Amino acid sequence: MSTADDDTLPGIPNVGKADLDAMVEKERPDPREELADVEADTDLGVAMAEDAQRVARGELSGDEYWEKYDEAAAAEFGEAYQETPNPAVDAGDQTVSTETAESLSCAVGSMDTVATESTQVEGDGPDGGIGAGDEKWGMVIDLQKCVGCDSCTVACKSENRTPPGVSYNVVMEEEHGEFPNVTRTNVPRPCMQCDNPPCVQVCPVSATYKMDDGVVNIDYDRCIGCRYCNIACPYGARYFDFGENYDDEVDGAGELTSSEYGVDRGPREEGKSPIGNIRKCSFCTHRLERGEEPACVETCVGDARNMGDLENPDSDVAQMADSSRAFQLKEDEGTDPNVYYLK
Amino acid sequence: MATQSSRFEFDPGFEDDRLRIVWYAIIGVLVAVGAYATYLRLTGGMATTNLTSIVPWGAWVAFYIYFVGLSAGAFLVSTMANVFEVEGMHRIDRDALFAAIISMAVALLFVWIDLGRMDRMYFPFLWRQLTSALSWEVHAYVAYIGILVTELYFSMRIDLARVAQRASGLRQTFYAALALGRLDTSEGSQSFDQRWLKRAGIVGIPLAIFLVHGGTGVLFAVSKARPYWNSGLFPVIFVISALLSGTALVMVIYVLRTRLFDGDSVDPDLLDRLAQLLIGFIIVDAALTAIETFIAIASLHPHEIETWQVIMYGPMSWSFWWFMIGFSWVFPMVLLTKKSWRRTPSVMVLAGLSVVIGIVAVRFNIVVPAQIMPVMEGLPHGSYFPTLVEWGTSVGMIGVGLLLYTLGAETLPLTPLTGGDHE
Ligand code: SF4
Ligand code: SF4
Repeated sequence: MSTADDDTLPGIPNVGKADLDAMVEKERPDPREELADVEADTDLGVAMAEDAQRVARGELSGDEYWEKYDEAAAAEFGEAYQETPNPAVDAGDQTVSTETAESLSCAVGSMDTVATESTQVEGDGPDGGIGAGDEKWGMVIDLQKCVGCDSCTVACKSENRTPPGVSYNVVMEEEHGEFPNVTRTNVPRPCMQCDNPPCVQVCPVSATYKMDDGVVNIDYDRCIGCRYCNIACPYGARYFDFGENYDDEVDGAGELTSSEYGVDRGPREEGKSPIGNIRKCSFCTHRLERGEEPACVETCVGDARNMGDLENPDSDVAQMADSSRAFQLKEDEGTDPNVYYLK
Repeated sequence: MATQSSRFEFDPGFEDDRLRIVWYAIIGVLVAVGAYATYLRLTGGMATTNLTSIVPWGAWVAFYIYFVGLSAGAFLVSTMANVFEVEGMHRIDRDALFAAIISMAVALLFVWIDLGRMDRMYFPFLWRQLTSALSWEVHAYVAYIGILVTELYFSMRIDLARVAQRASGLRQTFYAALALGRLDTSEGSQSFDQRWLKRAGIVGIPLAIFLVHGGTGVLFAVSKARPYWNSGLFPVIFVISALLSGTALVMVIYVLRTRLFDGDSVDPDLLDRLAQLLIGFIIVDAALTAIETFIAIASLHPHEIETWQVIMYGPMSWSFWWFMIGFSWVFPMVLLTKKSWRRTPSVMVLAGLSVVIGIVAVRFNIVVPAQIMPVMEGLPHGSYFPTLVEWGTSVGMIGVGLLLYTLGAETLPLTPLTGGDHE
């Protein structure tokens, strides 16, 4: 776009492009200073960085770049360089030619393999894998702040890539009274991660169980799809995966699945779990494990949803759950949900 | 009643060959329809049903509890002969046991096809859950089938031995194998069989009442999320309606098999006895259901009341009024009241079939209505009517049951060779 500097929009101060560039330049750290803190050779680093920019501008080809630095990098980084796959050599979409790739002394594999391997190493760690955390996860939803926009429902669907007919979160809209004295409450409903979960009680194969962090897990590899838990849940929080897809609406909708409960199941395929299994909200366990909030909490427009450790008395959720405004859904069922609402 | 001269005459199977062909043709059609529907179910997955996450249990579950009930009922009728030694009932002992076994097999087929992951049907034997009624049930069913087979064996063994002794070649090997090689037909061996038959029956009675069918009722009753099921009377009604359907089934089988297979005449005293049992069960079943309904409505619990409104006035209310009340209670009751009708085989077959069909609606009205009302205000209402695939597979599985029963009736000495009672 050829935006001239004097092309101002009404009410917006005219900041020239040159000024902006100067700002960036000012913020940019000095490469030599940065690299001085690192063990590796500063000159080599600066040279590689400068040439990399040249590659980006198209003044240098990827092949030339790697041929130029392969030897120096191998000498500098040794094994680490030789064993790490080169990001320029990525299956299907590589920026260097195959001949050059083969001539390099570094490993030539896709970055995907590295990513998968490293997550697995983390998952198999000694501290017991998914759901073994010290926290006791709880959610507090402030009904005064909920505007009923359903963003959480949408965020959840895209985060967990749930198929048609499966919606871990819904916003129940209740209208009370008669015109003109009508009130309307929006009640978002995820899985309550009950402390005494009827769904766990009835599962004939123990495919669904409570994890140490309070989240109720579903083992898709064990669930036989009898739907007894679906019947038993007093909150209607469980959904059966009938195997439907958004293929007509979205291209390649099934190419990716969410790594629910920390398990990567690859593309969604017929006859493969979780198709034929029961599904429900997991408090986005896979996000919690990497220190992120559940998608619904993060997206909430009115900041109505809060996530935290109920066992930590200083946490926001623990304090909110203790307030006189707090209540749980269907308290008399004895399920003791870990989702609290503020009236 | 067999006479002395026909004492060891063994000629099972249809008397009339034309009837046999027609009957097998009907079964063939049922099974073929079922096979095609099952193919669609297997390739299309659970999406071929009208089930949803709001109404996750439908026709297959209804038929499953129906056949478990039929089995438990038929079994309990058999114990009248072999445990309580009610006079004149031995004639139907094996019929009842064999029907109970086949019903149970059909029930398990229905459970199987209902699983989202049919390939994992053996998982309940690998992993368990102490608090799950379903986990217990699966084990109870296996134990129960074991008891049924044991009982049928001890009830029929002596006649298998008699047949084996007089047959030759392959037939002899076949019947001797079924008798597990015990070919002794002496008095001693017979009383040994009867002793064990009774023992197995005594173990079987609590198993059938409390675990197999009562337990199936418990499976629903524990679901506190569904107030319509969540009552202590519920499992009791399960057992009573099971007795009702089981007795009716045994009565129908007794008349039809005696007429069409044995070419004998029906014993009017036995028929009358079964008919009177049926009257008793209809009264108790109707009374308990009325009590249950009254308690539910008197509780003024909105969920209960709305569920009953769905049953009585909803779009499927015809199944309640016509099938449940009409076919399983009123119509058979009318036929059963007159003594001369109770002794008329054709009328009793009609009454029996009416009950057997009516109880299907009872089962549907147990499973479906409780899922129509949402568990929480604000969630959507359910609605459900089975798809053609669901009907087709159901018809097919019933066809398989009929086929297995007919094959058994054509080869096994289900009618005691010595006539009625044990000698
Ligand atoms: S809300 Fe339902 S699915 Fe979630 S833990 Fe409670 S009973 Fe189980
Ligand atoms: S559907 Fe799966 S998780 Fe639910 S009760 Fe059945 S086996 Fe357990």
